[in-house]
Amino acid sequence: MKNKLSLWSVLIFVLSVNFAIAQSVSGVVSDAASGEPLPGVAVAKKGTNNAELTDFDGKFTITAEKGSTLVFSSMGMETKEVAVTSDFLQVSLKSASSQLDEVVVTALGISREKKSLGYATQEVDGAAVTTVKDANFVNSLSGKVAGVNIQSSGTLGGSSNIVIRGFKSLTGNNQALFVVDGVPISNSTGNSSNVASGRGGYDYGNAAMDINPEDIENISVLKGAAATALYGSRAANGVVLVTTKSGKVSGGKKTLGITASTGITVGTVNANTFVRHQNQYGPGYGRYYGGNYITTAPGDSTFTDGRAQAVDVNGDGNTDIALPMGEDASWGLQVDPSLNVYDWESIFPELPTYGQPKSHVAPENGAMSFWQQSITRNNNFAIDGGGENSSFRLSATNFNQTGIVPGSNIGRDNVSFSGKFNASDKLTVSAKANYVKQSGKGRYGTGYDARNPNQSFRQWYNVLTDMSAQKDAYMNYGQKNYSWNAYGYGAANPTKPHYFDNFYFSALENFSTDTRNRLIGNIMAEYQINDWLKLTGRMSADTYSELREERIAVGSVDVSKYTRNNRSFTERNNDLYLNWNKYFGNEGEISFAGVVGYNQRRTEFQSISAGTNGGLVVPGIYALSNSVAAPAAPGESAYQLGVDGVYGQASFGYKNFMYVDLTARRDVSSTLPAGNNSFFYPSATLSFIFSEFVDVDGFDFGKVRLNWANVGSDAPAQALTDVYGIGTPFNGVTLASAPSTQNNSSLLPENTSSIEAGLEMKFLKNRAGLDFSVYQSSTFNQILPAQVSTSTGTYYKYVNAGQIDNNGIELSAYFTPVQTDDFSWDINVNWSRNRNKVVELFGDSQTLLLASVQGGVNITARVGEAYGTLEGTSFVRDGASGAPLVYDWASSRGGARYYQGDVGVIGNIQADWRGGVNNAFSYKNVTLSALIDMQMGGDFFSLDTWYGYGTGVYDFSAGTNADGNPIRTNIEDGGGLSWDEVAHLGIETPMQWDGTTVDADGNPVGTTNTTKMWMNDYGNALGWALGGPNELHVYDASFVKLREVALTYRVPTSALADLPIAGVDVSLIGRNLAILYKNTPYSDPEAGLSAGNVQGYQSGAYPSLREVGVNLRVKF
Amino acid sequence: MKKLLFAASAALAITSCTGDLTDLNGNGKAPEKVPAGALFANATMGYYDYVSVQNVNQNNLRLWSQQWTQTTYVDESNFELTERDVNGSSYTRMYTTVIRDCEEARAALADLVAADAEIQAADASIEVMEVLAYGFLVDLFGDVPYTEALTETNTPVYDDDAAIYMDLLARLDAATANLSGMSAFGSSDIIYGGDAAAWKKAANSLMLRLAIRIIDADPAAAKTYGEKAIAGGVFASTADDMRLFYSSAPPHTHPMWETLVQSGRTDFIASGTLADAMNMHNDPRRAAFFKNLGGSDSVIGAPHGLQSDYYQFSQPGVALEDPTWSHAAIDYVEVEFLLAHAAVAGWAGAGDAATHYNNAVSASVIEWGGDQAAADAYLAQAGVTYDAATAAAQIGLQKWIAMYSNAPEAYNAVRQYDVPMNVAAGALTVTPDRYSYPIDEYSLNEANVKAAASKVNDDDMFTKIFWDM
Repeated sequence: MKNKLSLWSVLIFVLSVNFAIAQSVSGVVSDAASGEPLPGVAVAKKGTNNAELTDFDGKFTITAEKGSTLVFSSMGMETKEVAVTSDFLQVSLKSASSQLDEVVVTALGISREKKSLGYATQEVDGAAVTTVKDANFVNSLSGKVAGVNIQSSGTLGGSSNIVIRGFKSLTGNNQALFVVDGVPISNSTGNSSNVASGRGGYDYGNAAMDINPEDIENISVLKGAAATALYGSRAANGVVLVTTKSGKVSGGKKTLGITASTGITVGTVNANTFVRHQNQYGPGYGRYYGGNYITTAPGDSTFTDGRAQAVDVNGDGNTDIALPMGEDASWGLQVDPSLNVYDWESIFPELPTYGQPKSHVAPENGAMSFWQQSITRNNNFAIDGGGENSSFRLSATNFNQTGIVPGSNIGRDNVSFSGKFNASDKLTVSAKANYVKQSGKGRYGTGYDARNPNQSFRQWYNVLTDMSAQKDAYMNYGQKNYSWNAYGYGAANPTKPHYFDNFYFSALENFSTDTRNRLIGNIMAEYQINDWLKLTGRMSADTYSELREERIAVGSVDVSKYTRNNRSFTERNNDLYLNWNKYFGNEGEISFAGVVGYNQRRTEFQSISAGTNGGLVVPGIYALSNSVAAPAAPGESAYQLGVDGVYGQASFGYKNFMYVDLTARRDVSSTLPAGNNSFFYPSATLSFIFSEFVDVDGFDFGKVRLNWANVGSDAPAQALTDVYGIGTPFNGVTLASAPSTQNNSSLLPENTSSIEAGLEMKFLKNRAGLDFSVYQSSTFNQILPAQVSTSTGTYYKYVNAGQIDNNGIELSAYFTPVQTDDFSWDINVNWSRNRNKVVELFGDSQTLLLASVQGGVNITARVGEAYGTLEGTSFVRDGASGAPLVYDWASSRGGARYYQGDVGVIGNIQADWRGGVNNAFSYKNVTLSALIDMQMGGDFFSLDTWYGYGTGVYDFSAGTNADGNPIRTNIEDGGGLSWDEVAHLGIETPMQWDGTTVDADGNPVGTTNTTKMWMNDYGNALGWALGGPNELHVYDASFVKLREVALTYRVPTSALADLPIAGVDVSLIGRNLAILYKNTPYSDPEAGLSAGNVQGYQSGAYPSLREVGVNLRVKF
Repeated sequence: MKKLLFAASAALAITSCTGDLTDLNGNGKAPEKVPAGALFANATMGYYDYVSVQNVNQNNLRLWSQQWTQTTYVDESNFELTERDVNGSSYTRMYTTVIRDCEEARAALADLVAADAEIQAADASIEVMEVLAYGFLVDLFGDVPYTEALTETNTPVYDDDAAIYMDLLARLDAATANLSGMSAFGSSDIIYGGDAAAWKKAANSLMLRLAIRIIDADPAAAKTYGEKAIAGGVFASTADDMRLFYSSAPPHTHPMWETLVQSGRTDFIASGTLADAMNMHNDPRRAAFFKNLGGSDSVIGAPHGLQSDYYQFSQPGVALEDPTWSHAAIDYVEVEFLLAHAAVAGWAGAGDAATHYNNAVSASVIEWGGDQAAADAYLAQAGVTYDAATAAAQIGLQKWIAMYSNAPEAYNAVRQYDVPMNVAAGALTVTPDRYSYPIDEYSLNEANVKAAASKVNDDDMFTKIFWDM
């Protein structure tokens, strides 16, 4: 609270410099709680428009005769009326307990009284992202702001998707715009489309994560188009306004404050979000090894059941059992301690286990032991201070996190400076600069890629692999690729890795590194022309250069390779605006404030990526010159774009109960065709405070708001003119090709129109309150690369087409059930529901492909459905019972399998609703808070179970069926699974895809399908192979999580009296401590893809972490 | 001073905005125009890369013609087409790379500085490449977009397959008139280095292929064009082959090397169907086609479509593991088989069927490392020796085997000559008769693809296309 106060008071103070004319009554205003002087308090003579503001020392002088009444008001403080009894008054103001009656930062960094706003904003205090820190501060907003959907990728330093009030653009950017201290900053990921669609690669994070949580003063989320209209086209998806900390000025005295904080957090894998492996069957795909279906009896030395190779490994003339280690599935030979088998440990001559068989048993250390604890360290040191005419803040932060994959870590160093100088009564200059160095090494491989160990653990694995043996083999015998998945006996290269590398070799030799050096800053000058008019000029820049390097070591499954990608980005914004604040009429009952301004934005981007070709010559040297064949031509891209905008806002207020805002902006964008490159968009808002006319006990404040906005948006860069691609020459011959997307030189701007209505109320002396919004938005005439029949010769054509509608409701509420001097209990609730509908696509087309993901599933926008439809093969269901229909398959194998229906809609990524509940308890110097974050609905397709159910790695596949027989036994011998059993596989709650046949208690309804499905090799009815339809692997993404817990102890000031220490806070914090509810048996429902429009897909999902830590903060 | 500072910064902000925004949208890294030859080379490369490869994501025709089967992941051996959108990739590759870049090259010909005859020859070479691509599409699907393909419409109509064939033949006929001397493409012609006379033989050979294909559907037209082709001059030796030699350096290695060697995978083994056919007559090509042979150099074939252990069966031969291996879109071996068929049909100039048949088989044996003596020994065996009474079946069987290096033609031989196929274990059926239309067409060009689908029994894969009678 206090921080906010001083921030706005500094701003308001600017308005006060030119006052102070006549005097008759003077005085000083102080904070009732701290006794400190309060600057910026409005002092008005009641019944007149005679008003003044207090200065830095809380002092004021006003013309007023004795007997008149002065009204003291200040944002965040309770208004007080004092009768003039002498010519010097001492007044103290109490802080208002309301959490909603405050000054908020709006577009362009303009602070306004929240009550005057006709649109929804929601504030998050800096403490909400610093106490329980996440490497990516965006994740800390989850559950704290209604209407904001955060999806973290679940990888170390990975990107987070932030979508406010629903997906609006079919193929364009749907991410919120980040604005730091009035300056838009880049939040791009630069991730490849492979990362975004789960096919593999590294997630290098979203650029907004460079913001250091320690530097954040507060965050204001502007949700609707009306709130963001002044920012122009980029802000159509909402804006996250971040205000960073500045130097504090206290009454013009010279001050210096030092804050140091340090924290350490330890994360451990939540086993409930990882695959549970069976431990009964070894490697292999079925019964076809070791000759033609050998069916000798167990105990016979040549027994393999066709599930292992029968070869003479040791040359003694007798047949031995060799496990088919080159296979990455687990339909192999059943464990049996009496059998001696040769597995991967026996095949490498360099290992001491060479040539030795071992007992065929489950390993002591399974896949779970691959994960290590993650450790996060954070150290911050900040100095702030000021004097009569200046203030500054200097902060340095070091952040470091090691991940759960061996060898992985990310680091971030932030140095930030903020300074302000009152050059004269009229002129204030200020500057902010934030230098960030972000680095990563060994980022997690993602998606369907050999660099992602989960591709193996969850999809393609030999569950009998002993992880400690894998580690020992790599660590202690020369860091070689001794893979569990070597080709094996009988192969031309028995020790070569087949599909997968040794997990430790992969993590520690095939790693990425990256660094990003970034500077975000601005210089600003504010000139107070007169007491109601101010001119502000600001120049800002966000610039970074980045190097990403990826390596595949010699000896890996994949061709050894080195690639590097150099990227640089610069955005400059120049702003010039004039704003005013004027009062008219009796007692200043009419206010007229506004701004007119000009914004110029220029963006430049450059990227060059190059890689070796055909492998590396010398192992361990990662240089382009170390290439077997001449490197292919590097991929280069470069674009520039510019937008020039003029804008204006007029805000009218009447008697503190009615406010009307009108805004308009006109942009000229370089990405649109010349002559047609300007677009205009307006907004109008209304705020009406009806509590001024209602006098009911316990009802303190009531306001309705209404707004309408229409926001234009330009095209991506370089979408107007066709260009050719030039490929790697063939024997000296140039190859050139037509582009896959046909550009369009007559694009028009796209458009979002929205309306919103809201209600704010406060009760019980502001101990309870709510903020309710309902909105509708429509984005139409979208600029999109429409997919067309490839018989046109192209894949996509840029067109103006398509419409998405969003409507929703949001509710934020707070309540303080208990409040005593020592104890208080505060509850905060956020809840939102967004309904999204694709209304129209290009021409008559009914679907727009967003991504074709592995597993034969398409993620699409489909007319009439919410954005993000999962399309794939479905069950064919019985009309009466809804149970999936099965048919007899090959009689040679027995059993049944599901009919695969046509490709159709099998799910949708959009959630039904999201919510968060925070409970905070405060007793004397101890506070405890706990945030529960939840989502209901939304689907994802799991490539992990799609393949994994086929490869026999999951626990249920080694279990028994309802008849008590092993599932893997042949059908005729009582094995296999019925549909009813499938519906309950390995899960705590009924699976979403079985909703029609299982009731809320998990009991089947209707006719039960008891036909058994054959389950003894990879060609079973559940996995991908000739088997189950995609629908079987669609899961409900609902969850309830204990997201954050923080216990803070503030050392009493009395205990520090003799020390040069102003304050000490110690916090114990926890993040993601428990998942209280979910419907996904083997993963975190939130785990998914990197930021982007393609969501609803798990491919090699990482398990999530429970993090526990301690923070210490000392103020001097 | 302070005011000056402020004024200066404000002035800077205003004055720096005067630049023309429209200049910013250019692309300094990619050209708006490129030489015609570069586009033609890319179109050529796009065709060869697609048809020469066998992998699970494209061109599964070695599996469909049951020359190979798979070890572990047997979906494609059981004719699964849609999960990996193999039908979509063949369609898309031909239209967006081969035909599109051909059309772009044609448009760019005007910018070439060369004699008119050389430009015309280049244009005719483009025609031949386009005919190759359309022929490939029609053979796989039946009706496909043709007259409206690559026009302004986003939903091209599907044209009748027989009608497209007639137009392709007419285009080849017209092209041959312009093929003499050198073409303007020069070294950008990565097949013949700009030798238009060589292209003329290729055009005639291709015309002969298309003519023989429709010999049952439209005997008169087949004869007309077939005789024209023969008279115009077809391939006379393997030196004439329309062959691309790949490079040892990635990315322009033979795509089969990527599948078999670079990937390190163990997916493909000999199908029992081809193994039995070759073993029956002690085929001298066995050791070249496959490695890991059994006793008496027999190919150990796996039951088609069933999971099998890689190491227990014969695997694709060493020749296929060479990154510099070549691929011929049409070659002398095939032309001799075509001539044999033409001779059987009695076309003028076709000569003697047995001679052509023997030439074809001999050339294939020699192509795969054998000598004439080995070929003669093979041809001397009962069942291999040309017999007029069983000519069609023999030509079909031998063409199917010889087209081991050109999978689309192996599949076409299976269909045209009804080469016996085995029932695939998983699919419980034999090789389908056509590709179904790509799933994307149903969402992007629905009305037209449905009209075409209705002509083939609702896009049934077991409905024969027009020339397969």
